[in-house]
Amino acid sequence: MIYKDGKKRNIMAIIILLLIFPLLLTGCWSHRDLAEINIVAGMGLDGTDDGKILLTVQVVEPTAIQTTSSGSGKGGGSQQKSVFVVSYEGETVFEAIRGILSIVDKKLFLSTIQVLILGERLSQEGIEEILDFFQRDNEIDYSMDVIVAKGVSPKEILEMECDLNPIPAVYVRETVANTVSRGTVKRTMFIDLIKDLGNKGKQPTLGLVSKIGEKEVKTEGTAVFKDGKLVGWLDRYETRGYLLAVSKVESAIVNVTKDEAKIAMEIIRSRGGVKVKFENGEPTLLSVKVDAEANVGEYEGKGRLDSAEKVNTLEEILEKEIEREIMIALEKAQKEYSSDIFGFGTYVRKYHPQYWKNAEKDWNDIFSYLPVDIQVDAKIMRTGIIKSPLNMGE
Amino acid sequence: MFGRIKKRSKTENTNNDDNNAQVDSSIEQIPKKVEDVKERLGEIFSGCSDIVLREISCGKEERIGILVAYINGFVDKKILNQDVIRPILDYFSNTELQEERCIFERLKECVVINNDMKEANDMRQAVDGIVSGEALLFIDGEDKALVVGVKAPQTRQVEEPYTETSAKGAREGFVENLITNTVLIRKRIKNPNLKMEMIRLGKQTRTDICICYIKGIANEQIVEEVRERLRKIKNDAILDTGIIEQFISDNRLSLFPTVGSGEKCDKLVGKLLEGRVAILCDGTPYVLTVPYLFIESIQTTDDYFEHAFFASLMRLLRLLAMMVSSLLPGIYVALVSFHHTIIPYKLMISLAASREGVPFSPFIEAFLMIVAFEMLREAGVRMPRQIGQALSIVGAIVLGEASVAAGIASNLMVIIVAITAICSFVTPPLIRAIMLLRFVFLAAANFLGFLGISLTAVAVLIHLCSLRSFGIPYMAPFSPLTSADLKDSIIVVPIWAMVTRPKILRQEKASGKKGTKRLEVEEKP
Repeated sequence: MIYKDGKKRNIMAIIILLLIFPLLLTGCWSHRDLAEINIVAGMGLDGTDDGKILLTVQVVEPTAIQTTSSGSGKGGGSQQKSVFVVSYEGETVFEAIRGILSIVDKKLFLSTIQVLILGERLSQEGIEEILDFFQRDNEIDYSMDVIVAKGVSPKEILEMECDLNPIPAVYVRETVANTVSRGTVKRTMFIDLIKDLGNKGKQPTLGLVSKIGEKEVKTEGTAVFKDGKLVGWLDRYETRGYLLAVSKVESAIVNVTKDEAKIAMEIIRSRGGVKVKFENGEPTLLSVKVDAEANVGEYEGKGRLDSAEKVNTLEEILEKEIEREIMIALEKAQKEYSSDIFGFGTYVRKYHPQYWKNAEKDWNDIFSYLPVDIQVDAKIMRTGIIKSPLNMGE
Repeated sequence: MFGRIKKRSKTENTNNDDNNAQVDSSIEQIPKKVEDVKERLGEIFSGCSDIVLREISCGKEERIGILVAYINGFVDKKILNQDVIRPILDYFSNTELQEERCIFERLKECVVINNDMKEANDMRQAVDGIVSGEALLFIDGEDKALVVGVKAPQTRQVEEPYTETSAKGAREGFVENLITNTVLIRKRIKNPNLKMEMIRLGKQTRTDICICYIKGIANEQIVEEVRERLRKIKNDAILDTGIIEQFISDNRLSLFPTVGSGEKCDKLVGKLLEGRVAILCDGTPYVLTVPYLFIESIQTTDDYFEHAFFASLMRLLRLLAMMVSSLLPGIYVALVSFHHTIIPYKLMISLAASREGVPFSPFIEAFLMIVAFEMLREAGVRMPRQIGQALSIVGAIVLGEASVAAGIASNLMVIIVAITAICSFVTPPLIRAIMLLRFVFLAAANFLGFLGISLTAVAVLIHLCSLRSFGIPYMAPFSPLTSADLKDSIIVVPIWAMVTRPKILRQEKASGKKGTKRLEVEEKP
């Protein structure tokens, strides 16, 4: 084993070393220390009088969060604020975000945005163009919640000092998550919004947040968009009807009355679907079909709930109630907003593509004038662990 | 420079005539006259105050001269006197000698009581005998000497090994005495097929080395390879098996051990029964086993004495610990320097909070803390035992509390270093390899994030898969996949289901390079 070409080997060694050194000399692309970024928890977008964009960010102060959550206030008297809120006006979103850097000390980190709050004014003017930045930027988390502020500016909500959670943005997000289990607000992730905006057969809707006190918000209802512009609202019952039809209800409490007895039923599972009936190549009927399973949660009436007939009547009442809620939501969408938020258009595009090609542009108008057929099939699964209420009566 | 290291790092044989030369030159007949012998020995051992040369004259008219030569303290004088000198004196004073020529045979066959006797035919053998603690009898008129083994037992008690402990199983560990060690093995395998081949290594130390294997179970090719590699060792001193280990490793530069080392008796016996070859060395309790595969790092003797489920769980745990120990600091640095987007939001806040106010970059911070820990560990090994407590207090306070309070390190970093340290002790054979890899992963993570970590991991895997231990692929049974051997790898099947010996050790011709190639060459004659 004699290496005759020792020189060659030396050259190889030098080359290898030279290849290793640049590795050490790199600027470490995208290398950023965790202590050198501002963690953005919430972002608000609103329009201004002169057509600019008012961008508000809520930045988390990690050390303050740590001390408040651990309970041992190291600072003693001077309680450090857990978030700070900064706003900047700019022509574009990107400009505003960069502009904020002139106010804050560290670079903004956008992946942690929990909730993006859109202002009412901005929403009415149209959101499609504004959202371009959020799709283009690599840092944005597509699973952040998007929500519309009703009757209040996003800045106000982000600046709110809430007692329940040190970070208002997280507070809003958790509230939305809670309300979803009541079926009265629609939770929309950014990616869903983008999908809906790109889908001509279904108009986007967003959840809404409103302020009800100094330190509290309420998330109930739905913001209805048409062609990327906010056109109106659905209240909580309409929202539930709408969500039942589009199969987005996790659970909901439905109150009904029967023979002066108040009954609260919890929908535990529901599946909804929309269809459009066609005759001779023309749409003739919008059909909504909902299957629901419910439990009796509360029965403030007399008598036992032990026979099949009694349960069957309850089921019928529940079906009526669900049908009513869907009806008012659908009517509002048709008559008032003329916006196909239910996604009938998607069905048409899928099953009648030829017709859709011609009708795509006028679909919202066609949708508004079509008759509606709603079928609800409700089942009551359980009536709770007692058989008879305390005041049994006769 | 690289070339030279590389050349030396290969277990290639370039010269092996040295030993032979020594043998040829030193054939020296033993002088017939006792006086000449004494003179010659006096020359050889000049300056050795511990040599004892005693002349005995016995028989009628004191015609028979006998020279007893030994090293003071090395032989058991009591036994020497009782079993050798006294019988000789008694015999010759009572017996009429007919033919003088037979004295040597008489002594050997019916006078000296001791069982362990050999003949030395030349001066070199005689001197060898003396320096190894045997007593030499030179008889007037004979050109050979009688070697009587009356070595005084010089060894400590068989104790529980310090470096390897186990919850279950035997507590006997090897000691510094080679013969005690072979007995410990023999005691457990009562079978003549257990072979113990003795050789001597080290130009100066002439250390006894024993190659131990079970004939019929061990692969003959591997045994031959062991003999061959041992024969090629040219070193003045063999003080420990650690020196042998470095000479006989397949890849001498690799961080990963390709020769096993241990001082636990039952472990070694288990390995012998699997078909491995053991190398014992006089003067050290550490015994080598070859071939040594990667999987052996996560095997312990307890695994076979316990329920297979728990044993398997422990194996998985050890594997996990190994990964954590080498990767965790790197992953942390990659996370907080590059990949913020994949950190969950809540973890992000606590991470950022703990990083707040730390003046160093995560890499420097991790590096400092790990180095501090390694220093502490090294100090723990080296220092006198009495200081241990002081060190542990200082270590705990400085590394744990103070560094965080002073804002030099973040809370999380302390936890990470602690977990890393704990995990590194789970697989003792790999401590050194893992320690170095940790720094490599750390650096890679700091330059390229997860990309760096995965690149390094790939490089390490490639290296591991290319390693051979005495011709056997290091990553067996995974690469090459030997399904029959998977029974005792990441999982352990119950002992009653483990009916076959490791197949990979039995293979006749391992495919591959380095060691294997030479295995094939040596088959020819």
